[in-house]
Order: sequence, then C-alpha cells, then structure tokens
Amino acid sequence: MVKEEKIKFVDGKGITRIETVPDQQKLDRHKNLEYYKDILYQCGKCGTCRTGYQEDGWFRVCPSGEFGKFEAYYLGGKNLLSWAVTSNRLDWTKNLVNIFYQCSVCLACTQQCQIPEIHYYAGEWLMAMREKAVQKGLGPMPEQKKYSEHVALEYNPYMEMHKNRTNWLSSNIKQSPDSKLAYFVGCTTSYREQNIAINTAEILNSLNIDFKLLQDEHCCGSPVYMTGQTEEAKQIAKANIDIFKDEGIEKIITSCAGCYRMLKETYPKKFELEHGIEILHLPEFILEKINNNEVKFNNNLNMKITYHDPCHIGRHMGIYEPPREVLKNIPGIELIEMPRNKQNAWCCGSGGGVRSAFKELSSFAANERIEEAKETAAEAIVSCCPFCLNQFKANIKDNGINTYDLSELINKAIKR
Amino acid sequence: MSNSDIVTELGKIVGDKYVSEEPEIQFLYHYDFITAEPEGKCDIAIMPETAEEVQEIVKVGNKYKIPIVPWVSGINFGSIATPRKGGIVVDLRRMNRVLEVNEDDMYAVVEGGITWADFVGYLNKHHPGFRTGVTFSPPGTGVVPSCLAYGMWDLGMIGGTGAEFTNGLEVVLPTGELIKAGSCSLTDYWYGRQPLPDISGLFIGWEGTTGIVTKAAIKIWPKLPYRTDFLPFTTRMEDGVPMMLKLSKVGLGIVDLALLNLGWAQSLQCFDQKSVAIDPISLGLPDFIGLITTEAYTEEQHKAQCDAIKKICTEYNIEPLTADIQVNNFPKSMRGIMGHIFPATGGQTPIQFWGCWNFARGGGGEWIGCYNTTRNIIKYYHLSRDICLKYGKSPQYYCRIMFGGHYCVTRTNVNFNKNDPEDISKTRQILKEIHDAVQQLEGTIMYKPPKWVVQHYKDKTLPETRNLIERIKRFLDPNNIMNPGQGIGDD
Repeated sequence: MVKEEKIKFVDGKGITRIETVPDQQKLDRHKNLEYYKDILYQCGKCGTCRTGYQEDGWFRVCPSGEFGKFEAYYLGGKNLLSWAVTSNRLDWTKNLVNIFYQCSVCLACTQQCQIPEIHYYAGEWLMAMREKAVQKGLGPMPEQKKYSEHVALEYNPYMEMHKNRTNWLSSNIKQSPDSKLAYFVGCTTSYREQNIAINTAEILNSLNIDFKLLQDEHCCGSPVYMTGQTEEAKQIAKANIDIFKDEGIEKIITSCAGCYRMLKETYPKKFELEHGIEILHLPEFILEKINNNEVKFNNNLNMKITYHDPCHIGRHMGIYEPPREVLKNIPGIELIEMPRNKQNAWCCGSGGGVRSAFKELSSFAANERIEEAKETAAEAIVSCCPFCLNQFKANIKDNGINTYDLSELINKAIKR
Repeated sequence: MSNSDIVTELGKIVGDKYVSEEPEIQFLYHYDFITAEPEGKCDIAIMPETAEEVQEIVKVGNKYKIPIVPWVSGINFGSIATPRKGGIVVDLRRMNRVLEVNEDDMYAVVEGGITWADFVGYLNKHHPGFRTGVTFSPPGTGVVPSCLAYGMWDLGMIGGTGAEFTNGLEVVLPTGELIKAGSCSLTDYWYGRQPLPDISGLFIGWEGTTGIVTKAAIKIWPKLPYRTDFLPFTTRMEDGVPMMLKLSKVGLGIVDLALLNLGWAQSLQCFDQKSVAIDPISLGLPDFIGLITTEAYTEEQHKAQCDAIKKICTEYNIEPLTADIQVNNFPKSMRGIMGHIFPATGGQTPIQFWGCWNFARGGGGEWIGCYNTTRNIIKYYHLSRDICLKYGKSPQYYCRIMFGGHYCVTRTNVNFNKNDPEDISKTRQILKEIHDAVQQLEGTIMYKPPKWVVQHYKDKTLPETRNLIERIKRFLDPNNIMNPGQGIGDD
C-alpha cells in the first residue's frame, strides 16, 4: 500500500501542516485563552488524538491519557474542559488545574487531530490554560513553584548553587573570549548531565570552532515558562538577552532541546523579544559541518542504536532529520527506528513540569519508551536532550539498555 | 448513602484511581458533546478493567438503586449513552484488548471497550491477512457499541450490520450475573450464535438497557489482494440510485455499496459549510456520488468484475471512475479526508470524519438515521433535503445498501454550532420535522433513536410486541438501573 504523504513538516516549526483541508481558520499562536475560546467547542471528543492516525498499528500516543485513563486526561477532554471554563459551564478548581498540569505538553495528541484548528492551535490553549491557572493563583504545582523560586535566586531549577554551574569545565577546554559564538550549556547539562557539556565542548575544540561559554549563564526559563509562569519566564528572557548582547553574541549552539526551543522560538515569538541571534541545536550545527566536509570521524563505533526524538526539538520545532543524518554519518552506527518515531514519538515524560510534580506519570511514560526501545533490540537509546537522557538513566533498570546523548557518540567517533 | 460513600465502595472494586465524582471528570460523561440532544448528568464515572469488576459495579447499582450507564466513547448520533437519570457511567475503555483471533473460522474475540483504532491496529500488526469491516466513525469510537446498535460497516454488502457480524457475546446482566450467548456459552469456540436460542438478541438494539457487554466475537474477513473503489458521479439521486440497486443484485465481489449527496461529499472534503452551495442542485452541480467497492482473489477475476461493473454503470449513462482518479482530480488542498478512506489513495479506515459534526465549524452534528426499504432511498432524500433547505441548512445525505441489497440505511445529517442555543434549537426543529416527514414512508425506522423518537416507535409497535419488549426489560432489569430513560423497553 502506498502511503500518501498527508502531512508535511514546516521548517523551523514543529507544528505540522494539514494541506488537504480547504477552509482553515488562520489564527495566531502564543495567544491567551480568551483568543482561542471561540473554537474550543469544535472538538467532538472523538478520540482520534489517542492513537497514531492511520499509522501502522494505530499505536497509542498520549502518556497523560494512557496514565490517567479518564477522558479528561486526553486532548479531547482537555479541549472541552477548556470550553467549559471559558463558557462558565465549570468553575476553575484545583482539580481542573491538576488535570491540565498532569501533561508534559508533548503535543503528540495535536499531531493526530485532523481538525486543523485543533491540530495547529491546541498546544497554544493547553499552555494558555496553565497561564490562566497561574493568574488565578491555582498553578503552578507546589513543586514547580519551588524550583521556579530557586531559578530566581540561583538561576537554575535544581536547587544548586549558581557558582557551581561551570564545575564541569576543565582547563583543557579551549575557549575564545572574543568569539561571537556561544555554547549555551543549560541547567540540566551543567548540573546533572555534565558529560554532555564536556563532550560538546570537546567536539567544538576538535573541529577548531572558536566558541565561548557565557561569563554568566542563567537558566533559559523553560521550566518556568512550561508551567504557565509566563511573566516570570519573560523576565528571565529579558535578562538573558541583555547578557547575550553585552557579550556580543551573534550565534548560539545548544545541547538541550528545551533551551533551543526557548531561545529560538519562545523568546521572539511568545515574549516578542527579538534578539537577532542565530540559534542552532548541536545536531544541526554538526550536520552543517559534515556537509561541508569539515568533520572527520576517526573511529568505528560498531553500535546498534535507536533514536528518541525529544519533544522540544521534534514536534515543537520540526527537527527530525538532522540528528538522524548525523548518526548515519558516524561509522559503525546502525540506526533502528522505534515504531513511534519522529512526529509520533512517545514522550519520555520529563517535560512540562511533570517530572517534578507527577512522578508516577513521569515514570510510566519513561518506562513505556524504554520498553519500546528494548523491543528494537538496539543496544542504546540515543537522544539530543539532557532531560530525556537523565530521565532514561533514572528509569532504566537492570542494565536493560544503555542510553547516550548524541554528543557522546559524536565525540567518541571524532576523538583520536 | 452519599455519593462519596458510594465512590468509596466502588473504589474498593476498581481502585481509587479509576472512580471519580469530581466535576471535571463527570462533565465529560454528561453527554456526547456532538448532538443537539439535551445533556444528562453523570454522578460518578468509573473505569473497570475486568468483567468481574463490572459485575461488582452492577451489584452496587442494584443495592442502592443507582442507574448504570455503559459507555465507550459516548459518541453516537442518537445520544443513547447519555445518562438521562444520572448515576454511574461505566467507561469500558480499560477493557480494550483483542483476546483471540481464530483465522480458521475467521473471528476475533474482543473486550467491550475496544476502539476501532485498537482493533484495526491489532489486526494489521498480528493478522495482516485479515480485516474487519469498519464503520465511518472516528478511530476512538467503540467497536462493540457499533455491533449492538446496528452500525453499518464497509463490508456491509456481504455481512450486513455490525450486529450480523457478531458471533457471540459475554454480558453482565443488570442483576450482576455473567452470561455468554452463542457457541461460546458451551464450547471454547465463538463461531456463531447458531444453533442455540439466539439470546444475543436480548442485547442488540436495546441501547445498553439490558446489560453490559464485556466481550464480543466479531467476524473478520480475508483481505483479498485485489480491490477497486469506484466513485461514480451523476446529476441526481434519481439517476444514480437505480444503478446502485441493480449493482446490489449482481454479486461481482461487491463488498460495499453506498451513495451520498454533494453536501455529504463536501463535508468529507472538509469544506466549511459557509464555502459551499447549500443547494447544489439549483446550481446544476452533480448531487449523486456513489461508492462501489469490489474485491477479488485473482487479477483475472477482479478485472472481469470491474469490467462488468463498468458495463452496468454505462447502461445508466454513468462513468464509474475509480476513487484514486476522482480524488486526484481535486487539487490537494481540496481533498479533505477523502484521501484517507481508500487504500488506492494511501488511506485506510477508520477515519476521523469530522465533517459529520463540524461541517458548520460549530462542533455539532446530528442525524435522522434510519434502517429502510431500498424503495425509499430517493423519497427519503428529497423529504429531508427540502426541510433542510427550508431552514437554510445544507443537507448531508448518505445511504448504504446492505447485505446483498436486502435493506439499506438512509441518513440525513444536520450540522450546527453547539455554542449557539438558537442554532441548537433550530436543529432540533429540523430533526423533528425530518423525522415526522420520513415516518410517512412505510418501512422507515430510526436506529440509535434519541428518547424523543422512541415513544413514537413504541406507539407504532404491535401492542403484543411492545408488551413483550417491556416484559423482557423488566425481567432482566427488575430495578430499572440499566441506562434508564433510554431505549424502547424503558417505561
């Protein structure tokens, strides 16, 4: 059966485009709940959002729904609950807010819906509901509030000291103080997955790329923004942009999917803070170098791996192929896809504040993904997000499968 | 006994996580969120995982005389799962497994809460040589409710309704006993309802008022290698229907035979109702689109079948172009979900046919859908069309000829804005007028009837038959807890 390509990816945007519907309401993204309230009731709660639409196997896609089970936890339920509160059919309550926060906003659900207004914009009102919850004093969840307060004090959500942020940095990493290219490390990498930072910096050195770290790097604001605390996140963004400008930065490389999304899209589009800085995620940057024959892989890794698409670069930003192209170029790497891949990737369960506030859901999602990875018979799951990596490490039991960041494999293959 | 006490008792059956009286959880079970029917009230929502848990829930219902309403997706165009008298809505979707597939006798045993996506996905993955008939219903809707409510599937010409595809049932009675109906009641095989007293009939067509079906055996069909879907267009129903009726009597490997008007086709194309002519006939646009699906085991057989079908169509001055040609004739931006239906265009069923409830971009849709004699197809269309046009609504008409042409389903859909009380009110009026008008056609009986229609059928039914139906209902459900306020057996 020849599968018609019904869905195209829009470059630079993860939200895909349904091209076959003649009449689509063109709306703006990043608006508040009031803006979207007149389309929320188009949902018929039909359940299409629960499974991979017309994919082989019609696999389940929604961690929040598969864990919570009741209708309310799937997108259809959330659409109509959003309609209910905006049309005074239901009150804003703690229970309602809990339902909306028990979700990583991975957008696998919106991917499946064939009603264009829901397909493109439901992600916007899922975030708008969180924003409204915060405005009403009902959100975020206590755990998320706690780490957000820590971000304000120590510029990271991990309750770590700011002064320890660059503890991973060793003297053999060469920086160029006058470089206009910065490597934005991110909080998870700085404090939890320092190997990613070390590997990324070593890769840049191996490729003779002039770069520097920011003299004073702060949290990008993603964990604050994703939990509906928009105003606080905007202040973080403003401060960061000032830092970038003070240091003369024109280009940033990220190794964290969340940071990438924040800097590239949320700052200019949601916060309307244009910074004019080119943002590249590591695989994009490396692929550019590969295509220019500037990368020499010196080692054969001889490894069967499967690739996990992080939501914040995948569905949110449309980056599916660059990591795969990089992997295909690494000698000895055999890439086996999981059934739920690319736009249908199953979320690891760590984003959207879920990992801190809904630990059971978080573990459920992670374990589901780990089992799926194991079924490919791959030796390792590879991703390019420290949050996904940290999540897999925390949930893989009995050494069932290994997990790596893409930077680790690239560096291993490059190193002499 | 308060709601909370009952929730606690139910929590001991399914675990606290799977029972709730929270308003946010209840809200989504108050009604279907698609039709113009009034809302009901869910007091408690519960999600069992096994038939034994369902039994215990039903026993609680009997103990406290609380209504029990079985639910899968809750979406049906008669709003028959809406809890009219409050009570406990039993959402069966944790019971969503395929338990067995017998490729020799060609049936699958599924749990009561399985959805089309689950079922088709399972067969595609594990039994790719077989297929099930599928209805034009979204992937998240229930298979077993479609069996029990006479859903029409895309193997309708060879298998009839979803009920006729059903080989046997496992049911929790309103009194809590667990029974099986069919060959499965005394053997390990679920091959059929024969040769035993057909007690499956006590649960089919009863709108969930006589028990909760926890398992069903459904006929599956071999996936034959050759398939062609024809989509003939012509000017009027009067031009196309005689051709379809002729095709219904010739065999030729035809597994599905349906026809629609332009309004229905345009909703399949995902147009906004505002963009299209409400009355295409007045503009000289074609208003008949047929769907003829034929399958065969060999290429030679298939070619002969297709040639014969084309010849018959030509006798009626209609050229039956194939679905891929017809669909590809439209620019990509105008295909909507038409490309999602046919293998030749890369699609498969189930499809998310949101034009059914969202053609008016208002999230609301409801139909008068009837089983009928094939003699009424054209008359039904015109009666319903005239009423829709009178109110300025685009008529969306669809008919499926079933089981070798022995009967058909005729349906006219009306779309509306479910956020607009005036539009809802207008739609109710239209539906009532259509129903009253088509009742003049002898042989027209609504399936999945909402409550306001049921009384009409009760009044029309032979008194002794009606009496028997009510007695059966009372016998099975002495406390009248099972989906009260719905169904023909309801007092």
